[in-house]
Amino acid sequence: MRGRAVWAVLRKELRETLRDRRTLLVMIVVPVLLYPAMMVMMEQMAVFGQRSLEAAAVRVAVVNGPPGDEWLAADDVAIRTSRAETPPLGALRAAEVDAVVVFPEGAWREDDTNVVRIHYDGTRERSSYAHGLVQRRLAEWGDTVAAQRFRARGLPPALARPVRVEAESVASAEEVGGYMLGRFLPLLLILMTVLGAFYPSIDLAAGEKERGTLEALLTVPVPADHLVAGKFIAAALMGLTAAALNLGSMLLTFQAGVIQFGDAVDIQFQVPLRSVLVILAVLALLAVLFSSLFLGIAVRSHSFKEAQNALTPVYILSLVPAMLPMMPGLEFSTGFALVPVAGVGFLFRDLMSGSVAMGPAVVAVAATAGYAGLALVYAARAFGREDVLFGTGGGAAAPVRRRWFGPRADGAPAVPSATVALGLAGVCALLFFYGARPLGMRFGEAGILISQWAFLALPALLLVGAGRYSARQTLALRAPGGRALAGAVLVAAGGMPIGWLIAWLQGFVLEIPWEFLEAMQRMLAADSAGRLFWLLLVVAVTPAICEELVFRGVLLQGLRTRLSPWGAIAASALVFGAFHLSFETAIRLLPTAWLGLLLAYVVWRTGSIFTGMLMHLVNNGTIVLLLFAPGLMARLGEPGAPPPWLAVLLAPVLLWAGLRLLPSTPASEPPSTQM
Amino acid sequence: MIEFDALTKAYGELRAVDGLTLTVRPGEVYALLGANGAGKTTALRCLATLLKPTSGTARVAGHDVQAAPLQARAALGFLSASMGLYQRLTPRELLEYFGRLHGMAEDTLRARVEELIELFEIDRFDGRLCGTLSTGQRQRVSIARTVLHDPPALILDEPTLGLDILSGRAIFTFIDGARKRQRAVLFSTHQMDEVELLADRVGVLAGGRLVAEGTIEEVVRGTGQKNLARAFLHILESGRAGRPMTEAGRGGGAGSPGPEPGGHPMREAGR
Repeated sequence: MRGRAVWAVLRKELRETLRDRRTLLVMIVVPVLLYPAMMVMMEQMAVFGQRSLEAAAVRVAVVNGPPGDEWLAADDVAIRTSRAETPPLGALRAAEVDAVVVFPEGAWREDDTNVVRIHYDGTRERSSYAHGLVQRRLAEWGDTVAAQRFRARGLPPALARPVRVEAESVASAEEVGGYMLGRFLPLLLILMTVLGAFYPSIDLAAGEKERGTLEALLTVPVPADHLVAGKFIAAALMGLTAAALNLGSMLLTFQAGVIQFGDAVDIQFQVPLRSVLVILAVLALLAVLFSSLFLGIAVRSHSFKEAQNALTPVYILSLVPAMLPMMPGLEFSTGFALVPVAGVGFLFRDLMSGSVAMGPAVVAVAATAGYAGLALVYAARAFGREDVLFGTGGGAAAPVRRRWFGPRADGAPAVPSATVALGLAGVCALLFFYGARPLGMRFGEAGILISQWAFLALPALLLVGAGRYSARQTLALRAPGGRALAGAVLVAAGGMPIGWLIAWLQGFVLEIPWEFLEAMQRMLAADSAGRLFWLLLVVAVTPAICEELVFRGVLLQGLRTRLSPWGAIAASALVFGAFHLSFETAIRLLPTAWLGLLLAYVVWRTGSIFTGMLMHLVNNGTIVLLLFAPGLMARLGEPGAPPPWLAVLLAPVLLWAGLRLLPSTPASEPPSTQM
Repeated sequence: MIEFDALTKAYGELRAVDGLTLTVRPGEVYALLGANGAGKTTALRCLATLLKPTSGTARVAGHDVQAAPLQARAALGFLSASMGLYQRLTPRELLEYFGRLHGMAEDTLRARVEELIELFEIDRFDGRLCGTLSTGQRQRVSIARTVLHDPPALILDEPTLGLDILSGRAIFTFIDGARKRQRAVLFSTHQMDEVELLADRVGVLAGGRLVAEGTIEEVVRGTGQKNLARAFLHILESGRAGRPMTEAGRGGGAGSPGPEPGGHPMREAGR
């Protein structure tokens, strides 16, 4: 019965989708017609352009030229010359001539170099073409003249050209084709797969709500996860079909395109069948990932339009990692294999060019399967939640609308919702990304200090003030007891060696930016007491206050209105880790997330942000102090040094002791959304 | 048989349905009345297993909606005001789809679909997609979908909302037919004339609580009003003023004691 229900849902969704012109257009018409049409158009335009250039002779004005135009071939019909006394540059600009060739004034020097100048208009296609043509003719004539001079002196003409360069690529035409097209085809394939799942997902989820069919559907005697399974398979199939059609159409078109171009293009595009099958299999995983993700998001929206608005940023964001394989110089590594979408993109690129690194390939496929599984759980959970299906929440964007634009009733929320809290973290990250570097460059270390206060603390405080939230609840402003503070310090001390261990272990998988780390280390190593205090202020005290206000204040408390304690702690830790990502410091994600996990847990248990601030201070301050202490610098300075093993062994004991000192039950109830 | 037993559905501090207890017997049509936001739709959604009650229970044909939601769903037909249909399916495809989801055998399903198409005169537009149907046609398809699996209990949430007289009449005929076939019918509405035409008993919800219940005659008599519409208004106004309706109906004024916790005197009248 249940398998039959899934099949019934799948069949119905496919039938409806195939009757939807918009989906069909994106899924079938675009790939099947677009590539051939594009190729034909490009070819026709190129051929037409070339022919129109070649159709008529270019007009060249010659000044001081040798009599008889001997520099031209005898039967040259491509160039029509006219004589001029002075260079007619006005005529060139007015497009009355296409190029002006100025030979040297006076006698032709038989034993020396004669400079011939070509004037042309770089903004005019025909003039540029004339420039190339004239230059070739003059070079050929120059070779002939040189040969005559050598012969006249009884020397072999080859003396004039001691080196002739011949280059030959060892790559076959197929490999070159694979390499060139492999740079942008993965992006196109990923884009089309994601787009293929886009509209069906919206239609299958938000569409049910908008049409008012959801209630009827959910009162059939079939568990919700079976309904989701049918819908999800349908959406994934749509994505996969779109991808397969795109892939097939691309392969055929580009192969046909090479044939059409004939000798003009010396590349061929042939992907082995085995690679095509692997690509299709991985695209299936990608289709599962995106259809689940989209379904999960779309079902939280109330209408097609709202779902479209919610999904579009996700769609655009997903394309950013898909562009990585296009970047020159980036190799397929295990680190990239773990990045969602990017790993798959690199795998496709290498499959198309015929050389795949097995390790990263397996990691990319496994990681994508993992992400797809997570996305599926996310979608299934949404379908089982009545607040998502029938909630009066007003959709994904409603909390933001209500808080900022809606009238505020007496029962105004005390704590920002999870959406608002995440929004703040996002705004802070953007401000930091665009603002911190210029400030750092202009003001040096003071710039870092300013960034922390201006881009973290200030927005958090502004949100609390402007949103009229309870500062006490939103920022967890609660005085901690002595035991809690002692526990926090012990947890921080126990957490540090483990954070170091995580960073060290990462070195086996990820590339460590040694230069960056060494620069950081140099910056943090104080050489005087004054400098030590300054560094403690900049990198320990300030982040302990500013980052805690955002991440353990607004973010953690906001997430708690929506998630379970552990869910909120884990999510805030991940965001905290991601916030510390940058071009140079991808390796900081996990160690920082680990720190974020400990901080969030302790703040939750104690209900006080001050415990988090103290831990943060201890963590960052310890690094500065260790680098200041004589002798330790050398110990830490070794690239890739593992953490002191004694500290690692001691860490669980410290953590255990610290956690024992914390209050046995969380100090506060989940933050209420009501005052 | 439809039963609510002290069912409460709360959203934080707000009790959308508060201790609702009522029974609809086979062959009985029960109209649930109430102003907007009184909790009618929430109560019906709890019964239809779409929402989880915060406390208390609801049963459909003896199946607890929380303990055995699938069995409860199999025993009910739910029709909402939106009458949503899949735009790109024909009526026949839509009925077959829901039949399969109800686990009907293919032979039985085909025969039943034919029967309903004939019964509700769907055959005239059977080949068209639902998105192109008129409101009346859509309504007939929706009703056919609701009774497809011949459930013993029917839950109709404002079934005549936005319909013209002709289309509304089809609903009346349908409800009347269901009563004759011994189905338990629970429907919510704002239309008093519908209630007077169809309902065997009525219940009035206010602030999530059942403040009055009984036959139409009992409810009207209990308030001392001339008809159901006036009685309904009187009940709501009395509830707002915090006065017991019986007292108000008999000329009681301000200063009368408020209603007893747990039920309104009118409710007792209907028992």
